[in-house]
Amino acid sequence: MSSPAIEVEGLTKEYLVGNLRRRRVQALNGLSLTVEPGVIYGLLGPNGAGKSTTIKILLNLVRPSSGKARVFGHEPSSVAARQHTGFLPENPAPYEYLTGREVVTLAAHLGGMSGSAVAPRVGQVLERVGMTGAADLQVRRYSKGMIQRVSLAQALVTEPKLLVLDEPTSGLDVLGRQLVRDIVLEERKRGTTVLFCSHIIPDVESLCDRVAVVIGGKLVREGTVVSLLKNDDALVEATVEGATPEVLAALQPQLKSVEALEGRHLLRFDQHHDHDVLTALLATRARITQLRRTQVTLEELFLKAVHESGQRVGSHIS
Amino acid sequence: MNALWALVLNGFRESRRNRVTVVVFLFAFAMIFSATFALEFTVATFARVMTDLGLGVMSLIAVFLAIFLSTALLPREIERRTIFMVASRPISRSLFVVGRYLGTLLTVLFVTLIMAALFLLQMWWEGTPLAHAHFAAIVGVLLEVVVLTAVGFLFATFASQYVAVSATVGFYFLGHLSSDLYRMANRAESAVLGGLGKAAYYLLPNLDRLDFKMRATYLDPTSWSELGLSTAYSLGYAIVVLAVACALFERRDFK
Repeated sequence: MSSPAIEVEGLTKEYLVGNLRRRRVQALNGLSLTVEPGVIYGLLGPNGAGKSTTIKILLNLVRPSSGKARVFGHEPSSVAARQHTGFLPENPAPYEYLTGREVVTLAAHLGGMSGSAVAPRVGQVLERVGMTGAADLQVRRYSKGMIQRVSLAQALVTEPKLLVLDEPTSGLDVLGRQLVRDIVLEERKRGTTVLFCSHIIPDVESLCDRVAVVIGGKLVREGTVVSLLKNDDALVEATVEGATPEVLAALQPQLKSVEALEGRHLLRFDQHHDHDVLTALLATRARITQLRRTQVTLEELFLKAVHESGQRVGSHIS
Repeated sequence: MNALWALVLNGFRESRRNRVTVVVFLFAFAMIFSATFALEFTVATFARVMTDLGLGVMSLIAVFLAIFLSTALLPREIERRTIFMVASRPISRSLFVVGRYLGTLLTVLFVTLIMAALFLLQMWWEGTPLAHAHFAAIVGVLLEVVVLTAVGFLFATFASQYVAVSATVGFYFLGHLSSDLYRMANRAESAVLGGLGKAAYYLLPNLDRLDFKMRATYLDPTSWSELGLSTAYSLGYAIVVLAVACALFERRDFK
């Protein structure tokens, strides 16, 4: 059996901040998670939750205070851990004196590519991110969106097995965001594992197979998007025409609410009572014109998790 | 192209595009000016003044470049976060430091060699005889740059740019006084002071043994063996300092 793409166990990180009056800030507090190969794994959390710190530990940019981290079975400090990894940092800053093509070429060489394969591959990824036309301009002349695109190209150039994207859609317009989504889905089709860290929850919800919600340096929710959004307390909403007052009165104990609309009623009831309520309605001359179960969104789930944790957003350093 | 060579070329390209070469032209103007100045105010010692002034300006500019480029690079990489996209690649941090060091060194050596070529050209133009001592002095300047660039990188691995510049400038001046420190340590009555003086002598680079400018002025030849020993000393010192820099940089967090 192949080792997980990412394994994190009991990870902690403490920073010392301040110059004269040094104080400790706990960025990670015993975080554990596992990312299997080939999935798109979303990391969600408010500012300062520890998402970027986790990514930096995995990429050996920061050393953990305690705990274990493994990338394809290797410790982050070993070069082998980064052999098959592409990274797009939050607010990327490629060397501004280089052209876009040179940035991607440098990434290819540092990633171990050499010879005649480099130039065509660089051209290919630049085209994929829509930067062929501006590839030979210096980065200092790029807009934020162009920098984001070139930085994505340098992350992709070595055809990584693990793609780490920290706020990949930040600074991009609608077309750019769509491009990132398409690329992420293409990469999954290729078998790439994607660690997707974003504040844009609809992106996470629509792209990710599994999601971890990190708050205060701890994992507070983890699972597939479907399982996280599964809600045993969901309500059923039925729009009913011709429901008599007698039927409504009889169903009253099972209904959460009844709203009288023009010529119809909107009934809300617990999903455990759906069989009883619907059977009773169908037994009368009432007509059910619309029936739907209220769905919790990832955004609601995220806000609930933040609320439950008692964390104030931005109360930690990021 | 392997990763180390890619880093070296990137460093050289960075310096070139940041218009470091302007310094060379400044030097050229300084040389032309000094020649005119020397012709106006000297009678018999024209060759000495030319040599003294030419090598002095060359050394000063090379040291200035070595200190400011070496101490600025790593703090700037960390502050601007350009390091994220390089250090996250499958290269060790030591390779990154060595690659950046060699890139900076290549730039400073390139500029110094152009200045040397201008200096020699001007000597030839003015009909001043060129001797082995002149070339030895130029090699000395190059070796000093090798050492100072390494020292600059060492301080830049853990300190801010301002601290790194101050410390490297301090090392430069103390490095030229280290022989005096040793002599004073030998004469010290206190054993502690003597010990400290000797420790400082071994810790600091002995830059005096790389300085052959005065000998060039008086056409006093430097032997090949002395030149070889000085080369070995400066390369050895730079390697040790770089090894410490790599060890420190391996432990650093990039927030």
